[in-house]
Amino acid sequence: MIARTTRGARLPLVATALAAALVLGACSGPDGASDLRRDVAEETTTEEEPAPPAASSQPATCEDPVASYEPEGSLPGPDDLPSGSTMAEIRERGSLVVGVSADTLLMGSRNPLSGEIEGFDIAVLHEVARAIFGDPDRLQFRVITSGQRLDVLESGEVDVVARAFTMTCERWETIAFSSEYYHAGQKVLVTRDSTVERIEDLEGQRVCAPEGTTTLERLGEFPGIEAVPAQTHTACLVLFQQAQVEAITGDDTILAGFAAQDPYAKVVGEAISDEPYGLGIGADNVDLVRFVNGVLEEMRDDGTWTDLYERWLGVLGPAPEPPNAVYGRPS
Amino acid sequence: MTQTAAPPVPASAPDPGPAGARRIVPAAATPARTSRRARLRASMARTPGRMRIALAVSVLAAIAFGLLGFQAASVQARALTAAEHDTSQLVDIQEARNTLVVADAIATNAFLVGGLEPTAQRERFDEAVLAATTLLTELAGRNAADSPELATAQAGLSDYVRLVEQARANNRQGFPVGSAYLDQASTTLRDETLPALDGLVVANADRVATDFAGVRNALWILAAGLLALAVLVLVQVWLARRTHRVLNVGLVAASAVVLVIGIGGAVVLGQASSTANAVRAGPYAATLASSQAYSLANDAKSMESFTLIKRGSGQAYEEEFVASVTEAGERLDTAAAEGVIGDESSRALDEWVAQHELIRELDDGGDWDGAVALAIGDDADSPNAAFDAFSAQVRDDIAQSTTQTQDRLSSAQGLSAVSAWLLLLAGGAAALLAWRGMSARLEEYR
Repeated sequence: MIARTTRGARLPLVATALAAALVLGACSGPDGASDLRRDVAEETTTEEEPAPPAASSQPATCEDPVASYEPEGSLPGPDDLPSGSTMAEIRERGSLVVGVSADTLLMGSRNPLSGEIEGFDIAVLHEVARAIFGDPDRLQFRVITSGQRLDVLESGEVDVVARAFTMTCERWETIAFSSEYYHAGQKVLVTRDSTVERIEDLEGQRVCAPEGTTTLERLGEFPGIEAVPAQTHTACLVLFQQAQVEAITGDDTILAGFAAQDPYAKVVGEAISDEPYGLGIGADNVDLVRFVNGVLEEMRDDGTWTDLYERWLGVLGPAPEPPNAVYGRPS
Repeated sequence: MTQTAAPPVPASAPDPGPAGARRIVPAAATPARTSRRARLRASMARTPGRMRIALAVSVLAAIAFGLLGFQAASVQARALTAAEHDTSQLVDIQEARNTLVVADAIATNAFLVGGLEPTAQRERFDEAVLAATTLLTELAGRNAADSPELATAQAGLSDYVRLVEQARANNRQGFPVGSAYLDQASTTLRDETLPALDGLVVANADRVATDFAGVRNALWILAAGLLALAVLVLVQVWLARRTHRVLNVGLVAASAVVLVIGIGGAVVLGQASSTANAVRAGPYAATLASSQAYSLANDAKSMESFTLIKRGSGQAYEEEFVASVTEAGERLDTAAAEGVIGDESSRALDEWVAQHELIRELDDGGDWDGAVALAIGDDADSPNAAFDAFSAQVRDDIAQSTTQTQDRLSSAQGLSAVSAWLLLLAGGAAALLAWRGMSARLEEYR
């Protein structure tokens, strides 16, 4: 009897233990990440730091960076563009694809009220569109950063880049430029009460310049200055207003746009460099370069250039003479 | 042993039956017989002392059973409560995160339109930010362990709001620097606040996983408690040999109580554990799948706006869009294949993505204005309406599966909590019964 009781009592005990072991064994997913179905490794992503632009290494061997291809004969009208030419292709497509800035006040910026992109660079592009289509509005904008200017031309994504684009020998190696359509110079923007008069006075201070620009390269020539790169010029203005940098350096046109947005900022000093602006065009499209140079030629001659200058850059003072076109680049 | 073993002495004498269990020492028995007898006689003399020890052992065993059972069930009940709280914390963190991404998408869209922000949009933005702030504060109060990360998220959020205001102020004056402020605002949100919240989602998922493990591990404690039953039975066997009485009513009753309540408790706790497993594989998995898919879709939605704002340079954003919606779709499809959610949300997602492709077609074809008009429109067949339909569906799924998770965990918790007291009570009762049973025997030696 007792023995039976004992055995009888043990059986359920064993059964319970077994049942418990079964339930215990039926577990899965030891941690939250597996419940979330996530790989732990995916959390760690590395961000690629953009390489700092290398300083131009061969200015000595460079021929004239402002020399472009000479226009051939008189400018053809929109209806008799040479067949097979790049211009005819663009006309066929229906719009001129252009790489521009949307946040550089005066040169190329989106008007928050109308939503339109406008400025001196944009106005020049409208003239090119007018010459190809007879309609200045046949533009398809691609908003790009300074650092993207060469890439979009090399890949053929855009026809023309008009984005405060300084003509340099180094850039001529991979793309082509129109003749010079604006002459800018690098200056410095500081706070209204700053005693800084020229870039040398900024020794030991933080100065912002956009990535992938000649401005940033030139800043490297002043070793005492801490260069702070930003993605765009406007991002520099944000850093300036947040007191994360003491000054911004850039082309006088761009800085004038900043001063217009911030009454506590002023542009100082003489230009420390010559920044000849050209329209960037793909290296293969020499016919388009010649055509655009013809358009610019007309703009200089018929006063359009001066009108546009006064409209967009009048804050800089009375319109100077348009820069002279230099030709003679062998194609 | 049987009741026919009349003499009290030969407890270890050779068994009468061949099936006897104690035939281990017969060979050694003959030469050692004399000394053994002497020892047994001596032990006989000490029986009351031994019985006192046996009394103590059985009472302690019963108490240990009660305490371990109580412990097991309350550990489980606590783990279930914790799982309930931690899942709700997790869902609310996801909700806060989604609300912020929605707010950012609204702000971004407002800039896309240009000009003054429509009042309705501004109100939606303010509502979203307010909701997120309130939620983050509530969350910090609910679980102190999350507070440091939530503080980081809050700090990022206040930076974000400040930058958006600056963007607005500049926009109001027609300054393009406004969009750079908006850019920085989004970056702050994405670099500071969202990663902090994402980290918390994982931390809470870990916590829930630990809670589920606790629900299961409680069974081991109960198993340990059931060892008390073995002790009670052994004492009875020993007592029966000592006292010629087959059954000690007190001890038998104590054993019965331990056995019945112990097994009952094991069944209840085992069921709670399998409920937890079912919840984890069912509604909890559904909640995670839906809320993560919703998060991803919201990310994608603001990527759509950024793609348009970048106006032709937004390829990287479009790639992120595709990556996000693909992952969202995979999560929903997997969950639907496992049968934990329906396929409505997955289909709604596909419909929205199809609408998004129309926007991309327009933009890639050069009609940026048309693409923007389509992206910001809110007609019944617009992409926004498709996204709203998806949102409503997936939020519904989340609400439903969260309620199920909470309800099932909560009812399992209720049973565990009641079992805890029953087990404790049973241990007390068994101790009392064992004590009475044993002291009745002890009386006989007085």
